[in-house]
Amino acid sequence: MIRYDCFEWLAPQMKDELVVTSLSGQRVEWGHLSHRDADLTLGSMGNALAVGMGLAIALPHRKVFVFESDGSLLLSLFNLPTLANLNPPNLAVFVFDNQKYSGTRISWPTATAGKTDLAAIAKGAGVEHSVLIREFEEFKREATGALKESGLRFVVCKIEESLVHRKIVRSNVDLLETKYKFVRYLERTEGKPIFAGRG
Amino acid sequence: MEAALAEKIVGSLKAAGVNLITFVPETRLSEMLPLIEKDEFFKLVPVSSEAEGVSIAAGAALGGKVCAAYMEGPGIWVSSYNIVTVGVRYGVPMLLIVGYVGSMADKRNTFLYVEYGIKMVAQLESMGIEYQILRDGDGLETKIADAVRMMNALKKPVALLFTGEFTI
Repeated sequence: MIRYDCFEWLAPQMKDELVVTSLSGQRVEWGHLSHRDADLTLGSMGNALAVGMGLAIALPHRKVFVFESDGSLLLSLFNLPTLANLNPPNLAVFVFDNQKYSGTRISWPTATAGKTDLAAIAKGAGVEHSVLIREFEEFKREATGALKESGLRFVVCKIEESLVHRKIVRSNVDLLETKYKFVRYLERTEGKPIFAGRG
Repeated sequence: MEAALAEKIVGSLKAAGVNLITFVPETRLSEMLPLIEKDEFFKLVPVSSEAEGVSIAAGAALGGKVCAAYMEGPGIWVSSYNIVTVGVRYGVPMLLIVGYVGSMADKRNTFLYVEYGIKMVAQLESMGIEYQILRDGDGLETKIADAVRMMNALKKPVALLFTGEFTI
């Protein structure tokens, strides 16, 4: 399974779902395929799941997708017990596990290349719907379920290392611009101010 | 902390509009937690690490909540990466409610806390975090309202360091 293929299939199906991505190639690939104000490309390791949880709590009527990587999630494993206990029914987490720190340019193996099973860790933390998938058809099934059904979903997608993102021209939209686009989109669609204060 | 002071903090947070609080329980201000928990105005979010407390608060703030991350002083070090990454760099307002253990006015200061206390201000200043040190309940509602106004103006985290009477 290739992450880019998953994103290419999923991006056109997104409507008003909110998406939070971590760092790594997925930020570049999703940003290349999806051009929605509802995308929050965080650009940091170890934060996407927590930020996604915060969004899901704040906006329980909105579906939130989080795209994590193995390296990023390994940096923030303490998120998993919190995720399980909060159990936000409007949150779907997809961990694209290529078993590498691809961003290092030397593809240093992560712990999941060894004995570590992130889906089992999440299960042990108390996340009921925690699954590990390896096939594109399974991804389509899980993603369709996430789009159409309620309930916390944690899906570890074992993918091949792909360097598609290195061939994509990087966006010049910086983090603050991304944040403002996202917040203004929420203000429009939620019909309420988010950032207080006027000049 | 005396019960009346805990009530004053919680009332001041509510008056300032803070409506979501992440926390790792600590030793100095903990009496306010049951009060927050039983008030439906607040969404109280228990977390496993101050690091995720900051990031969850950031996500909720982007979703329209007025957020605080409550922690003991050492939590500032635990969450410094998150404060800088999603708070400062991304520009997200939130209140950092900090039990200022190990500070000069900490009534329970011991060797367990002092190294955090004496380095706290330098740590916050290194991250560019505005802060106020609160030693008693005088003008508390105004000081908390000021901090919330500051965080919204800056669109960054602002810290309130509670010591003195709050640490009894």
